[in-house]
Amino acid sequence: MSTVATATPLVTVRRVNRHRVQRRLAGLLTYLGLALALAFFLGPFFWIVTTSLKGNEDFFAYPPVWIPSEPSLTHYGRLFTHSSGARYFTNSLVISSLSMFAALVVSLPTAYSIARWRFGGGFLSTLLLVLRMLPAIALIIPVYLMYKLLGLTNTYLGLVALYTVVYIPFAVWLLIGFLRDFPVEIEEAALIDGCSRLRALVRVVIPIIAPGLAVVALFAFIATWNEFLFAIVLTGIETKTMMVLVTSFTTGGTDQFYGEASASVVLGVLPAFAVAFFLQRYLVKGLALGGTKG
Amino acid sequence: MRGSALALKRKQWEPLAFASPSLFLITLIIVFPLGYSFYLSLLNFDLAVGPDAEFVGLRNYTEALLRDERFLGSIWNTAVIIVPSLALELLLGLLIALLLSRVIHGRPIVTALLAIPAMVSPVMAAMAWRMMFGVKFGAINNLGRQLGIIDVYFDWFATPFLSIVAVVLVEIWHNTPFMMLVLLAGLQSIPQELYQAAKADGANAWQSFWFVTLPLLKFTMAVGVMIRMIDLTKIFGLIFILTFGGPGGSTETVAFNTYLVGFKDFRMSYAAALSYVIVLGVLALTLVFMWISRHREARAA
Repeated sequence: MSTVATATPLVTVRRVNRHRVQRRLAGLLTYLGLALALAFFLGPFFWIVTTSLKGNEDFFAYPPVWIPSEPSLTHYGRLFTHSSGARYFTNSLVISSLSMFAALVVSLPTAYSIARWRFGGGFLSTLLLVLRMLPAIALIIPVYLMYKLLGLTNTYLGLVALYTVVYIPFAVWLLIGFLRDFPVEIEEAALIDGCSRLRALVRVVIPIIAPGLAVVALFAFIATWNEFLFAIVLTGIETKTMMVLVTSFTTGGTDQFYGEASASVVLGVLPAFAVAFFLQRYLVKGLALGGTKG
Repeated sequence: MRGSALALKRKQWEPLAFASPSLFLITLIIVFPLGYSFYLSLLNFDLAVGPDAEFVGLRNYTEALLRDERFLGSIWNTAVIIVPSLALELLLGLLIALLLSRVIHGRPIVTALLAIPAMVSPVMAAMAWRMMFGVKFGAINNLGRQLGIIDVYFDWFATPFLSIVAVVLVEIWHNTPFMMLVLLAGLQSIPQELYQAAKADGANAWQSFWFVTLPLLKFTMAVGVMIRMIDLTKIFGLIFILTFGGPGGSTETVAFNTYLVGFKDFRMSYAAALSYVIVLGVLALTLVFMWISRHREARAA
């Protein structure tokens, strides 16, 4: 009897200890796993940034220099002056901003029409989904021929028009979600006060769903910024974007000088970094709908 | 229906008028070119030869699907890239999502940091990795030498097999974060009570993962995999920068092959036909995707 009485608490203590050790180990492994994941997914960015800041001596040094002893912005300077990087960065900015703005202006009323009046029924939403899935390669062949005929290759207008249209499906999908969450009563009040639909949309709806519009705008901006196939086919020497500029560093094997190439990659991924933090909450939805695909 | 008073008040032309700018532009810049492209695919128009072209019916299609070994090879190459990429993205994405769901402090910031690769352009991802794979100055060879894992300067793009490994690795780096985000959202939508109930029934961690998490995550996984599969069939920028289809065409994917036919050889009609083959493939996958999402909605309702 007495042996049983003393044995039971001992076993319990041992089990509790084992549980605590197990839980600690699990916690440790969790953090270790996440640290490894962070190293894998962010390591390349770290390396690219440090490489772009290296001087020539660091670049050729062995053993390799991982953190430059005297960081310098020379490569950025050379990229901007020597490789017309400034121009192409500006091109990317202008084209992305214009496309983002145009896509919003065109998509908002359409999304409104679908969200409020179920315009087009299931057909229109299916069409938009199919258009989102449409391979860019199928579009670029006829568009290239049309643009050549119309003299729209190597122009801002040509690229912006194409980007605007290609991102309508994405923008409409996201906007429908935001509009459905919008309380209809507020709009009804405006309509009863004698507002027209369009006025109600501009004066009442837009200010309230502004955060949603910003989300869509940022995704559209990044998507346009990242786009490659249309850009490489349709741009010429004056209208190249950052994505096209990068291709000029891929000739001549993997060992050509990394300075300007790494600087251009840093500039090319900069917007993505900014946006990833702003859009945290919307990343799943936006990425699933194809917000950043090039 | 919500807003029925509004529906009564509306003017007949308003829904169409609101949607018309989009519809007009979509017709002009997507629908019309696609129709033109289909017509083009029935000709033998070749920019390198001249402006004249004649109607050849479905000859381009039969050539592509029966005789064009390069194109058929590119279908195979695309599949060889897609299968391991998808499998590993799903596994890694699930693993990281599970790890993240165990963390309470700092989860948003870690998630946002891990999500960054998915936001950058495939072109930039490929360029960064191309330099990392660099023979003499690349981070991978240098790190490997410093750690004593390798003792030669390794050329990662020397053989077809290694090139495919490199493409898959970059693809995993680029898009696992997407899978992770989707699966994390899926995990968070599983009610905690189910886990408590499983625990009360004496299930261990492995059993509750196998019998609670996995069944409930199945649809989310299917949706994530389908989206990635559809996007992977169009893989282009990453290939363009990382391998340019090489060595010996071993990483030439369908989209990249079509690009070369269209904009290097200027065989526009043939490229249009190839692009329609891709469209049909993507359309089939999209139908599967829609079927899965319907199925999920039906189950959820």
